[in-house]
Amino acid sequence: MQKQRKFVAGGVLLAGVVGYLMVTGMRDSMVYYYTPAELVAKSIADPSVHELGVKVGGRVVPGTVRFDPQTLNLRFDVVDIATGRTRFPVRYQGPLPDTFEEGRDVVVEGRLTSAGLFEATTVLTKCGSRYEAVEEDLQA
Amino acid sequence: MTGIGEVALWIALLVSAWGMAMAFVGGRVDRGDLVLAGERSILAVFGLLVVSSGAIIAAFLGNEYRYNYVAGYSNRELSVFYKVTGLWAGQTGSLVFWALLLALFSSLVVLQNRQRNREFMPYVAGTLLGVLLFFLVVIVAASNPFKLLDFTPLDGRGLNPQLQNYWMTIHPPTLYLGFTAFTIPFAFAVSALLSGRLDTRWITTTRRWTLLAWFFLTNGIIFGMMWAYVELGWGGWWFWDPVENASVLPWLTGTAFLHSVMIQEKRGMLKMWNVLLILGTFLLSIFATFLTRSGLIESVHSFAQNLTIAWIFLGFLSFLILLSAGLVWWRRDRLQSDNQLESFVSREAAFIGNNLLFIGAMFAILWGTMFPLISEGITGQKISVGPPFFDRVNVPIGLLLLALLGIGPVIAWRKATARNLRRNLAVPVGVSLTVGAILWVTGVRHVYALLTFALGAFVLATIVTEFWKGTRARARIEGENAALALVHMVQRNRRRYGGYIVHVGLVVGFMGFAGKAFYVERQAAIRPGESIEVRSPFGHGYRLTYQDMSAYPATNMTKLIASVRVERDGVRVGTLTAEKRSYRQREEVASEVGIRRAWNEDLYLILAGIDNPNGVLDGTNRQPLATFRVLVNPLVPWIWAGGFIMAVGTLIALWSTSEPGRRGPPAQARQPAASRPRRPELVEA
Repeated sequence: MQKQRKFVAGGVLLAGVVGYLMVTGMRDSMVYYYTPAELVAKSIADPSVHELGVKVGGRVVPGTVRFDPQTLNLRFDVVDIATGRTRFPVRYQGPLPDTFEEGRDVVVEGRLTSAGLFEATTVLTKCGSRYEAVEEDLQA
Repeated sequence: MTGIGEVALWIALLVSAWGMAMAFVGGRVDRGDLVLAGERSILAVFGLLVVSSGAIIAAFLGNEYRYNYVAGYSNRELSVFYKVTGLWAGQTGSLVFWALLLALFSSLVVLQNRQRNREFMPYVAGTLLGVLLFFLVVIVAASNPFKLLDFTPLDGRGLNPQLQNYWMTIHPPTLYLGFTAFTIPFAFAVSALLSGRLDTRWITTTRRWTLLAWFFLTNGIIFGMMWAYVELGWGGWWFWDPVENASVLPWLTGTAFLHSVMIQEKRGMLKMWNVLLILGTFLLSIFATFLTRSGLIESVHSFAQNLTIAWIFLGFLSFLILLSAGLVWWRRDRLQSDNQLESFVSREAAFIGNNLLFIGAMFAILWGTMFPLISEGITGQKISVGPPFFDRVNVPIGLLLLALLGIGPVIAWRKATARNLRRNLAVPVGVSLTVGAILWVTGVRHVYALLTFALGAFVLATIVTEFWKGTRARARIEGENAALALVHMVQRNRRRYGGYIVHVGLVVGFMGFAGKAFYVERQAAIRPGESIEVRSPFGHGYRLTYQDMSAYPATNMTKLIASVRVERDGVRVGTLTAEKRSYRQREEVASEVGIRRAWNEDLYLILAGIDNPNGVLDGTNRQPLATFRVLVNPLVPWIWAGGFIMAVGTLIALWSTSEPGRRGPPAQARQPAASRPRRPELVEA
């Protein structure tokens, strides 16, 4: 029995290693998803949010898109889709994302600086439902 | 004509319900005629599903857009090729396809076991029909491929351009074959639990099915990686996408099972563990199907959300979990080990370590995949868990597994002596340290990559030693030359040596993964005539010169193709093209990448952006500024080579002589390990 206990301890140790990796891994790679309104409200309540990587789903404000094809600097404003009020500028360095357009819904990942500028590392365009939704589509 | 397909589905549903009842009752009251009726129901269901699937394909080929499904995944322009694959292009069809493959495998089991395994067959047939019944219920209740639109559109919506790739014919079917084939060992396990016949027979008799399922699942996953690599245009092959993760979960438990059954066969241990593993593997296959079909989690594969399907699947999964747990609890007395673990330094312990690591990886991936859903459900806060989490957890686990991969095959059963370890590990450890030192000297400082190569060398050295020792011994005893001795040795024990070859493939694949640590990326916006230069980690200098941009307008899409001249170390080696396609109808843009493959590294070219594309189309923009991303992906070809080696190894193991008659007497006649001759590798048949 003594021996078996030793093996249980070995198993527990291994489980502990995996558990440790999971806990630390989660801490470092969790990304919160906010709407622009939520993000701004959070960052006012708790300034440490400015350090955090977040994902934000918003709408590209028409007339604000500026893109330099030579330097690949992209700037545009996003606005809260639901309220249509909270908005902030986004800066991104890279080629214009496919199907990126004014008025489109996008998800930007990055962080909101304390100056109120969102430094994006990725900009994804939402292309609605890519599959199915056939019926509405065909009947429309 | 195609209406017959829907009728066939309904009949199949009734037949499977009836057959399931017959098989279970027949098994309970010991009536062979009822059992036979159950088994024949399986054949009938297969026939009906062939009719139904044929009707779906016929509807695609006949452009019958009054069917919602056909209208959603096809149009008149679609090539015949993709009309046939329409069977599994979308949710409803793919469920029929799933059921079809399961019915095919189930029929093979019935035909295979007309004489054998009669004591298992009643509940095996009943279980298989139960699973078929479930899928048929889902299909007719929530996902009918023959659902009609209330009008007939002139044309369909067409197939998602990213699915219009030849991998479409290969990747999904292979993966489904893997998922469905795991139902066979599951059914035998349930039958063994119900009938109480819990010796190793249910395992040995399904060994080839398990391996076959593993073979398909492994290849399905690798094919998916190849597809993602050429199609998604991100320069990677694995994204920790929820659906990718879901396919790996049953692979991990299935792989654990393939190893742990050896302990039960040799030492009569881990009986309950093995039952749990195969039940879990099947549950995870169903879970993977559920995750994809329900569309609950966003993914590159995402199908539309279908909550009806989600609830039916959740109900079925809960039922299966309760059933499995109940059966195992009921039979817990018969699942006791015959032996106990004796030492940490033994093959049993190495196998158990391997199993715990596989299960640990499985839980970690499951957690990371489900966390966003759980978090949103409980706190209402959307949180995503990105690739860093999965890498962070799985890379160390992978390295530990790699270490065990080297130790496992050479360490003795029961309790290894210091002499056993010294004799078998001295050379491999030396090789490993040498490789590590050489890489260090040549400037490799990436810890995980160094460990991967050093441990990989260790594993390869142990395997080569095993082959070498076995061949030499056989050559001496049988008086054969080395080549003949090698062939005969592998032939005599295909399962073992096939397994080693799978390990070699895995090591090569792992080294390919490690290559990711050294990838190089450059991005620049340039005009025709200008160049981008990159230096690869192998020291090659690539110079890519943008030559021109051509436009190909067509009715449904416009292609813009950039052609780029490639020079390597100053020598012209060819031209790469990279495209951007805009699909009008679907408002989608897809990229086609250009890849130059060499044995050690891929040059990967992405056309990331074009300034004023409309000007290119109407001819006013003659020198279009284009943004290119150039990547050098070192060792990616090794991943595919590793996958190929694994497939070869699995096929060798699959060929193994699994009929009890040919394999020699089963477990009870085996000698206890202690009284075995000193060189067990020569006598284990």
